[in-house]
Amino acid sequence: MRTADLELAARCRAGDAGAFEELYRQHARRLFSLVVRMIGSVDDAEDLLQEVFLQAHRKLSGFRGDSALGTWLYRLTMNHCLDHLRTRQVRMNRATESLDEEGAEEPIAPAPAVPAAVSRLDLERAIKMLPDGARAAFLLHDVEGFEHREIAQILGISEGTSKSQVHKARMKLRMILRQ
Amino acid sequence: MNCELYDDLLDDYVDGVRATDHRRDERFAAFEHHLAGCTGCQALVADLTSIRLAASTLDAHIPPPRLWATIASSIEEQQRQPWWKRQLGGAFSAWVPPAVAASIALLLVAAGWNVWQQGRVETPQQVGTPQPEAESVPAEQHYEQAIAGLQQLADAQNGALDPETRAVLTKNLAVIDRAINESRAALAQEPASTLAQESLLEALETKVALLQDTVALASDTGGTPDEATGAAKELNQ
Repeated sequence: MRTADLELAARCRAGDAGAFEELYRQHARRLFSLVVRMIGSVDDAEDLLQEVFLQAHRKLSGFRGDSALGTWLYRLTMNHCLDHLRTRQVRMNRATESLDEEGAEEPIAPAPAVPAAVSRLDLERAIKMLPDGARAAFLLHDVEGFEHREIAQILGISEGTSKSQVHKARMKLRMILRQ
Repeated sequence: MNCELYDDLLDDYVDGVRATDHRRDERFAAFEHHLAGCTGCQALVADLTSIRLAASTLDAHIPPPRLWATIASSIEEQQRQPWWKRQLGGAFSAWVPPAVAASIALLLVAAGWNVWQQGRVETPQQVGTPQPEAESVPAEQHYEQAIAGLQQLADAQNGALDPETRAVLTKNLAVIDRAINESRAALAQEPASTLAQESLLEALETKVALLQDTVALASDTGGTPDEATGAAKELNQ
């Protein structure tokens, strides 16, 4: 896997036009879904993913294979998303700050329960209301299926922080979905 | 019911991650025992399991086919640029905040004004003897002065930057220094070459902008903005 990554990166660096397209085809779909959910706009996601791949093209010379190429791309993507969110300053935190306190006081609240089959539409809407850090960790763990060790690499945080962010996200989603 | 005793096991339980050692195994068993008699925890586990299940089956968003075409054409465009511009890339332009851009504009206007003034003074002595490099030399000197001043300021404030940013800036300065040296070498071989002159001035201008960025970034992260502004004014004069 790592050897294949290094070979693909080497082909890209050597100017193999097809190699970079191969890299794009391998990862663009999952990255695009992640970006749409991170920043909440399909149009902005297109622009952002374009910037990510252009930066990846410039930075491939620095790829040493310390992590999988996919993890490296996810890291670039998440950095762009978080920068974008900081710059845009359209944060959902305000909407969820009050939930922080409620969540801390009553982690095990009485009924109504979250429906056994959560509607995807409701979940998508609720994900948008998460704070940036918790949303990033939740999307990578519960939607993309990464392990906490990998999320720590992608987001530049510790495994413990990744776990606590996912927990925070789930508890907030529960609160939102019960309303 | 002491539900909070098992908070740290909750997510692992929902994720199906089991104990990694004997002690944790015992705690898992205790949690399962607790769970059997606690309706609150049963509801919580059921809710988090539903959320996790729904999250893992969310629909994918498909990137439009035009996205690859746009990326491919941007890459082609990038590859037509000079190598050192490619090296600096988008990160460089992203660093230039409007205030710094305004400072750069002021600096360049001041440099241009000085060049024009010198040209006016020197014109009577130079009538009839057009010298291609005569215009670029004073401009180059002004850039060099600006660079020296900014470099001093950047060195003084360098400690305010985080190591990663410092490393990127150092690397970019090295890239632009190489471009300046190459342009100078080209100009030495062909002193009348307009292209070589423009290339040198463009590289010097980029270095001024990069040093302005360094000073602005250092100011943003705890440096002394007044000192930076003062120095910029001094340079403009």
